[in-house]
Amino acid sequence: MNSNWLKKNTFHHSAFKDIDRLVEEKKRKNIKISLCLPTLNEEKTIAKEIIIMKSELMSRFQLLDEIVVIDSGSTDRTMEIASSYGADVYKADDILPKLEKFKGKGENLWKALYITKGDIIVYLDADIKNIHHRFVYALVGPLLLFDNIKYCKGFYDRPIVTGKNKIRPTGGGRVTELVIRPLFSLFFPELTQILQPLSGEYAGYRELFEKIPFPIGYGIETSIILDIYEKWGLDVIAQVDLERRVHRNQDTKSLGKMSFVILKTFCNRLEKIGIAELKKDFFNEMIQYKLGKDEYQPDIYKDKGSERPPIIEIPEYREKFKVPKCTPALERLDMKSAR
Amino acid sequence: MEKYLDKLPSFVEAIKSMKETIIANIVFIGQIPAPTFKEKRRTDFFMERLAEFQVDECTTDGYRNPIGIIRGNSPSKPPIFVVAHIDTVFESDIDHNYTVKKKTIKGAGILDNSLGVGVLASLPEIFRKLDLCFESDIVLAGVIQSLGRGNLRGIRHLLKTWDTPIRGAICLEGVELGRLNYYSEGMVRCEVECNISSAPGLLQRFRPNAILILNEVINQIMELRLPQRPRSKIIIGKISGGFKHGIIPFYAKLGFEIQSDLDKIVKSIYNDISDIIDDIRHQYEVELKLKTISNLNAASLKYNHPLVKCSGAVIESLGLKPISAPSESELSIFLAHKIPAVTLGITLGENIHLENSMMEIEPMYKGIAQIIGVIMAIDKGVCDE
Repeated sequence: MNSNWLKKNTFHHSAFKDIDRLVEEKKRKNIKISLCLPTLNEEKTIAKEIIIMKSELMSRFQLLDEIVVIDSGSTDRTMEIASSYGADVYKADDILPKLEKFKGKGENLWKALYITKGDIIVYLDADIKNIHHRFVYALVGPLLLFDNIKYCKGFYDRPIVTGKNKIRPTGGGRVTELVIRPLFSLFFPELTQILQPLSGEYAGYRELFEKIPFPIGYGIETSIILDIYEKWGLDVIAQVDLERRVHRNQDTKSLGKMSFVILKTFCNRLEKIGIAELKKDFFNEMIQYKLGKDEYQPDIYKDKGSERPPIIEIPEYREKFKVPKCTPALERLDMKSAR
Repeated sequence: MEKYLDKLPSFVEAIKSMKETIIANIVFIGQIPAPTFKEKRRTDFFMERLAEFQVDECTTDGYRNPIGIIRGNSPSKPPIFVVAHIDTVFESDIDHNYTVKKKTIKGAGILDNSLGVGVLASLPEIFRKLDLCFESDIVLAGVIQSLGRGNLRGIRHLLKTWDTPIRGAICLEGVELGRLNYYSEGMVRCEVECNISSAPGLLQRFRPNAILILNEVINQIMELRLPQRPRSKIIIGKISGGFKHGIIPFYAKLGFEIQSDLDKIVKSIYNDISDIIDDIRHQYEVELKLKTISNLNAASLKYNHPLVKCSGAVIESLGLKPISAPSESELSIFLAHKIPAVTLGITLGENIHLENSMMEIEPMYKGIAQIIGVIMAIDKGVCDE
């Protein structure tokens, strides 16, 4: 196991606070950076994220070139608010409309690849209550300053808001510790060095994202790590300590659903890579129980495990980004040579 | 005078175009807890922000009030002060994360006084955007230890140690837009603590009740005759005590303020209350203490002072109606030092001292334009007469 990675590729956000230097490096490399915020009913937090990023990383420093919101169908005022603060707002369903429509975070992130212009894409969850521009510049920093790093993941303390305006200092990360870490330990011990594999804050080069499939739902974070690790190795990955992230608490049942999808994604990847062979297809339903009127009733959550192919395989994308046609075999070669 | 008044409405749109910068400053500052006496983190951030906005000099005075100085063109003109108190009434352990929506910002301390401090931190960028230069130096001062037991220590120290003349001053408060404070009443803020020593056994059932003792204090205060002229009043503002419904409380605390246009009356009422406390202490044989936690002397600009007239004209030029009332804030310390000063409110809002305090975003742009208008008025010399 390459245990040096943790030491070598783990940074603290303060290492990148010289934003002028990042802007210079961005200019020197002649690249564009896009921020994508996937949303579904985030009217309480979306404005603050946009305002702070626009103020700090577009007006004061020209680190970001665009802020794009991709919405899954909010029923609150998320889209109106985001638009009023100057973000480019899209409904996921309106992007690549000829394709079958799905709902999920992974779908939004995948479609953002078609909409955004950046060579680097930064993905941030839109429910961060204590948003700070370090969430972006610290993720972009390693990508700009180290040529070998192509994908950067955030980690942090996770205080969660419980009850009426009270903050619990520790908590969160339950799915990581109970599901992901045991799985990584069993099958990919090197990846246990990634401290918060499920964090929704990461950035990477388009050239990587466009070549990997995107699961539609909760499995997206796990699959991105596994695919990048499989295709390009651990050394293209870095992680940054973002210190503190305050977010909404999720109940155990919701986390159960999340775990179900992640487990499914993980097992599919195991099979695809050839580590395990599944003799039977998975069931697509997560069954939980709730107490109804005098009896327990099943509460069924369905997940088909849909996945978008690498977006580079989509003709509209190839046309928009002028990607020359090449055979899948050549593409695979291309990926291996990047390792 | 009219030239700059004419410009103000056009400033509103230009200020609005900087909404991200202004709101980001308000949010960044407001999300750092700053209860009185524990303002360091917010102070550091405020200083950092001024430095990032390339303010000519950023420093702290001997009392750690953070100060930024934007140099003016005329070294012979005394500086103009713009101040906002840094501290809030909220403790650190409550959620300070703000919620920004299309028209509002919500969160603890937003109106008192994150908005004031956030706008203060934004002024250097706003001046740049509006291409404004002044003859006087503009001193942007965040002042610490203002509220409650802080007793305006920050501003007191700042003015005590500032050894050159000051041309005029503006104090910033979150609400309400249109307020024009130019006088402050004499005030004494006090606490009465009732402490009943606990005795074990049966006696406990018959010991005096600390809350009822304070009730008696309140009753006797209410019987005091206060003069109509000069205007005087006693505000019973806080009371606390007790543990459970069925347990006799042995500790209770009462907070009140005496306010009057005349310092002599404040003193006289204070003496009356002190006598009441002595009497009840003797009568009920309990420990009853009267403590003064802060005080202010009455001070005022005249209604026809040029600064007051100009400030009123500035507010009216933006389509607002000036409303005057006394203010027990930094203003009174400026006035006590014979420095012409006014307090201005920046926007509209509600629940000022609740955790879900809320400010309206749109009126803020006029609120900022009025601050700039009054700075311009002082810079043109309205306070020099």
